[in-house]
This record gives sequence, structure tokens and C-alpha cells, in this order.
Amino acid sequence: MPNLTLGAEALLDLASEALRNEIAPSLPADKRYLAAMIGNALDIARREMAGEAEAATFALLDAVYDDGDGTLAQLAKDIRAGKVTDQSYADLRKRLKTQLMSELAVRNPRHLKAMQARR
Amino acid sequence: MSENQKRPLDSGETRAALARWLGPALTADAVTITRAELLAGGAVQQNWRLDVTVTGGPRAGTHTWVLRTDAAATLSVSLDRIAEYKCIAEAHKAGVLVAEPIACSEDRDLLGAPFAIQAFVSGVAQGRRIVRDPDLASFGDALARTIGGEMAKLHAVVPKDGVLPFLPRPLGNPARRIVGECRAVLDKASAPRPALEYVLAWLDRNAPEPKAIALVHGDLRTGNYMVDHGQLTAILDWEFCHWGDPREDLGWFIARCWRFGNDQKVAGGIAKLAFLLEGYNAVAAQKISAPELQYFEVQAAARWATIALAQGDRFVQGGERSLELALTGLMPPEMELDCLDIIDRIEGKGGR
Repeated sequence: MPNLTLGAEALLDLASEALRNEIAPSLPADKRYLAAMIGNALDIARREMAGEAEAATFALLDAVYDDGDGTLAQLAKDIRAGKVTDQSYADLRKRLKTQLMSELAVRNPRHLKAMQARR
Repeated sequence: MSENQKRPLDSGETRAALARWLGPALTADAVTITRAELLAGGAVQQNWRLDVTVTGGPRAGTHTWVLRTDAAATLSVSLDRIAEYKCIAEAHKAGVLVAEPIACSEDRDLLGAPFAIQAFVSGVAQGRRIVRDPDLASFGDALARTIGGEMAKLHAVVPKDGVLPFLPRPLGNPARRIVGECRAVLDKASAPRPALEYVLAWLDRNAPEPKAIALVHGDLRTGNYMVDHGQLTAILDWEFCHWGDPREDLGWFIARCWRFGNDQKVAGGIAKLAFLLEGYNAVAAQKISAPELQYFEVQAAARWATIALAQGDRFVQGGERSLELALTGLMPPEMELDCLDIIDRIEGKGGR
């Protein structure tokens, strides 16, 4: 038997499953898109709780800013100002991609999978 | 707002007033509206299907038209209904396949809002349905060729005196202007996007000089044209029309986000890029090649990432409670990754 915790993640998971399996099929066609969006939102919220995207963001910021004080807002500003570039930080594009992929793992894992299959 | 203003054409009096206005507008002896039906659509903007009988004049006969009222602009760069109508009329004059423009009025007294009337066109516009059509294999290549040709006809319209004078004349490099527009959106956005900033910096550094400045549709993609039994029947949604680099339209059309999952068919999920370019170059004075479109594919994905962010902020900052807007606001990493992948391809794999 799986060892589950009865908390937010498990509840969102159950709610999403019930919506998809029991509610959505009986809805009229013009409401199915909305049901799919609701299922999608529940799944994103559940994955976000696992907090994996944050780890990749901190890895990116820690790599660029030695002092550990970097923020995404600062990084965006420094890239626009030309202070953080491919020249000043060799792995910049690769690091940005890693961070985007971790965001995508939360927001749209199916898209991420399709993307990785293409590579 | 009274009920009558909410659904103005339900009233026989308003229909008669519209018919009286249409008479001289169409140089007809008389116009009768035999039926007016509100089509599915937004709360702000209304689309009415009109069955009309025209007596006398060049349009004598029975017709089915669509009347669209003006909507409050949701994105600052979009044109109002009348400006959009004038762009459609200019495209129509250039031979582009559009729903034929019939008449427009800025007068609010008639229907409570400015409105434009165009011919009713039948067909399917939903992107997902078009790219999943079981017969796509038999019509996709020809459709892409036709769309390429239509784009080229549009791009033959160039800025000169008297032509769409309300559209701002482009100052400076149009590719850099788009970078500036995206950055202006990011400045107001609720969340920073370092990857998008990286892409915009790249687009700024690599901005090509325009080969020409022409009338650009600005949102020409699968989902914004109508197909009936595999044939193009009209190009829709002209509110982002502007003077720009023609390659913007091609880059937007081929961007992966508008292939609706049909990734191998680069031209809008319907065909290989070669078919779109074949149709385009058969008509265009300025030929366009596949390699020069790579920049514009990055530009398109960056633009869509920016728009998606702004859509999400209509919920986050503007308080519009819409699940669809919120979910759209989560999409930027998809487009940002596309951008970085194409940049890798252009600069050599792997990310330096």
C-alpha cells in the first residue's frame, strides 16, 4: 500500500482525478474545455507544492551571484543592462534552460516531455 | 446600459434604422434586414449575423453579412474596429482573401458602439481542428502555398500618402521596435523573466535591417484564417495590422506555438515550410529564404511569451477573474525554451 499523507497534495490529486474520470465525461461539449482547464490548474497547483522549480531557480541564482543575494528580478535587470552576458557567465544560456525546464515540469510536463523527445 | 443597448439588433426599430443607414452607404434604393442573430462571442464585442435584401445599386440581391461592434481594446497595441476595417479594406483592394468589407460606421447613435459589416464566410477557424483534420494530408501543402501567396499580396501594400494614414509610420529598425515593445510590457509585468530578457537582448543585438516596410497582418497564424473543405476562405483578425518587416508575418506563422502539436509541419502545423515559401515567393517582389526566418521565429516566440505574460497579468494585476487568462500567464517558459533552442541552432549547439 502507498504511504500517503492526507494533505494538500493528496487532496488536489484526488480532486483532479475525480473531475477527469467522473465529472468531465458527462459534461456537455461546450463545458469540457473549462473542465480540462480546471483539471490542469489543480495539477499545476499540486506539482508546485512539491517545490522543485524553486531548487532550479536557486541553483541558477547561486551560480551567477556569488554572494547568495541574487533574485530573478536582479538577474532580469542585469541581463537587460548587459552586466550578465554569455561572456561574463559562460554557462548562462544552459543555466537559463535548466531553470525553464524545471518551471515547465510544474506548469506543463507533457510539453516538456515532447520537447525532450525532439532533442 | 439598457437591455436594448445590450442586444441592440433585437429591436425592430434599430434594425430599421440600420437598414435606413445602409441604403445610402451602399448606394442602394432600399435595404431590408430580414433577420439578425447574435452569434456566440464576447460580452463586450458583439457579432451579429444579418440576412439582408438590397434593392438597386451595385449590391442588389440577398446577402448574409456579419456585423461586429467595437470592443474595448484589451491590448494597447490593437486597433479599434474602424481602423481594423480600413486595414481589411486595403488588403481586399490588394486582392487578399478576406471577408469582403461592406460598410462601417463610427457613429455610436445607431447601435451604441462603432461597427463594421463584412460578408459572412463559412468554414472552420479553430487551429486544433484544422491541424487534426483527417484530410490534412490531401490539402495542407496547397493551403500553405495559398496562404503564402496571400501574405505576399498583403506585403505589396507599402506606406505612401493616403494609404492607412492612421497607422504609425515605422521609425528606425522594426525588429528593434518590437524588442522595445516587449521590454515595455516586461517593465510592467508582475514577475521577472530573466530568460525572456536574455532572448530580447539577443534579438536586439542581432536585429536585421528590413528588406522592405510593408503592411503586416501581425497575427497571421493557424487559428486566424478560415478553411472550408480544405480551401482558404478568409484571413481573419486584423487588429494587430501595422507597417513592419514582412518577415514578421512569416516568422509568426511558423512559430512552434502555432502548430498546435503538429510540430513536424513547420508552416502552422499544416505543411512543411517549403510550401509556404513557394507560395510566397511565387507572388512576392522580395523573395524570402528559410534561413533568414530563423531570427523572426525567435522574435515570434518572444512576442507570444510577452503577450502570454500580459494576459496572465490581466488576472494578477487587473483582477479579471479568468482561469484561461491565468493559465495563459503560465505559458512563457514554453516559448522561452523555443527561443533558446533556436538561438542554440543559429549559434551552434549546446549553449556557450
